[in-house]
Amino acid sequence: MTQASKVMSAQEAIERFVPDGCELAIGNYTVGSCMELVSEIVRQGKRNLTVYSQSGVIDVEVLVAGGCVKRLVTTYVYRGGGREGGSSVERALRNRTLEIEDYTNFEYCARLMAGVHGFPFMPVLEGVRPTDLFHKRSFLGEDKYRIISCPYTGREVLTVPAANPDVCIVHVQRADREGNAQYWGAMGSVAYAALASKSIVVSCEQIVSEDIIESSPHLTIIPAFRVNAVVEIPWGAHPMEVIGHYNRDIMMYSIFARACSDERRMKEWMEEWVLSQLSRESYLEHYIEKFGLHSLNRLKARPYYSAPADYGAAFTSMWDEHGRERNMGITREELEDFLRERGELYE
Amino acid sequence: MSKPYTLQELLIITAAREIHDYEKVILGVGLPTTAGALAKALYAPHAILMMESGIIDFKPLVPLNHIADVHAIRGFKYATDLFSMFTMTYRGFVDVCFLGVAQVDRFGNVNTTCIGDYYHPVKRLPGAGGAPDFISYAKRTVLTMLGGEFVERLDYFTSPGYLTGGSTRDDTGWYPQGTGPKTIITTQGVFGFDEKTKEVYLAQIHPRVRLEDIKKRVPWELKISPDLKETVPPSAEEIDFIRRFAPAQAIGRKLAMELVIKNSLKGGKDTSSKN
Repeated sequence: MTQASKVMSAQEAIERFVPDGCELAIGNYTVGSCMELVSEIVRQGKRNLTVYSQSGVIDVEVLVAGGCVKRLVTTYVYRGGGREGGSSVERALRNRTLEIEDYTNFEYCARLMAGVHGFPFMPVLEGVRPTDLFHKRSFLGEDKYRIISCPYTGREVLTVPAANPDVCIVHVQRADREGNAQYWGAMGSVAYAALASKSIVVSCEQIVSEDIIESSPHLTIIPAFRVNAVVEIPWGAHPMEVIGHYNRDIMMYSIFARACSDERRMKEWMEEWVLSQLSRESYLEHYIEKFGLHSLNRLKARPYYSAPADYGAAFTSMWDEHGRERNMGITREELEDFLRERGELYE
Repeated sequence: MSKPYTLQELLIITAAREIHDYEKVILGVGLPTTAGALAKALYAPHAILMMESGIIDFKPLVPLNHIADVHAIRGFKYATDLFSMFTMTYRGFVDVCFLGVAQVDRFGNVNTTCIGDYYHPVKRLPGAGGAPDFISYAKRTVLTMLGGEFVERLDYFTSPGYLTGGSTRDDTGWYPQGTGPKTIITTQGVFGFDEKTKEVYLAQIHPRVRLEDIKKRVPWELKISPDLKETVPPSAEEIDFIRRFAPAQAIGRKLAMELVIKNSLKGGKDTSSKN
């Protein structure tokens, strides 16, 4: 029986794996986020999502501005225009359409780490105990943190509950058709967000052949058997950056930063760059039409290759060039004769 | 007269001077990464720069956009993950950590989460990030404040300084002895914490800043060091480094953004053939 292909469009992947009301993890951390998958979620009008984001930047802003998010578990959110500016997250909190649960970076990551390994909770760093992170709780209530007694030392141990989101969307440099996903650069918690989740949608700059993955397994952060969908999306993180492919688009980011401090301007930005676009191709066409191809080209990375790791071994067959077994020193015929002589062959 | 400088430059340079050679340094988002670059270039060539995204031991080439910006560096020596970066700090392997501040109280407790009510804030600021974990376990923490404020009471208590002062931090048993904020650097001066009371005091005043102007921004009777020093003005070498390395930070975020947008309206000046 052959397995159905996992390679599909962003539209199909989001339709199939991101239902309304689910817990959605954004796998990327601060850099190279899955912007096209995020845009597709907004276009499909997904509602009531509980979003997990280690560090919400433009991705969380767009989801919140798109009205998709009911609850947000995070450590950090974007604020366009600095102190004077505002954000969609801020407006949604003020309008009481969004609930937020704040953790520190480590504690958020520890929740995923527990989820990855199947543990019910994870001990975390107790330094946070006098702070409002510990005292002020939102929708998780008592379960935001619990304190237990260490069975070995008797000391109090601060813990956070495991997180196993329903689905993780994540953008990486490359993957094969089966879903082996390779990512490099700032590792953050990218692998943990994906591996903790029940389903995984991978978008990548490039789909590559199996042998490329096999010769560089140290770059694989998600194994194929955990992945449900693979979507090839060049420029899939723009205006964010992907190491080895393109830099952050500072111009586009500045325009976005200004837009998100104001509700009306944010609406216009969403209309122009998310809702009016059918796919990343049309987004890029619009970008090039508006800013010129040179604006995109100047972001392209110049190669700086990692030194190849040599996975070579001394031989690839147990039989040497003379047809002799490498350790026993005999040929295939001699092996058979030997077995017959010892009465081990049943003829 | 020293070479003219901006207040952002002075803040970055003062922060950079806090980094000593061979130290393991955690750099927070924004100005600290440029301070790290400056220190590494001019006074601390063996300092090991690290960021919570898991990037360890790097030399920045251009200013970092954020704490996961590998585009700004050409390679780095150890790629680990966020979880390990913090457990490394927990175990005491980090010497100094730089954190930005929105509100700070008289005992160095910090708010970077919100202004107003937490659940329905007037301003939602970025949040905790890694700050509470770093200030808890780094051997010392340097706070930098650009546009932030001293307050009697934080709107939200994000990161633990010296709690209610005196030995209260140490008494909890939750922090390694001797850790905590050591310095607050602003565009006006440098503040320290009293060894006994742990209350903030003015240790250093920047050139051409008046004491009254500093006091005006502190809502309690600010203690002043008996041997208050004036900050050594930035050297030409330090200023040149920042102008060359991080021109947008030298002029400040607001003015830089204005120029970026102006440039983009002209169709985005193509500089790709020249660099």
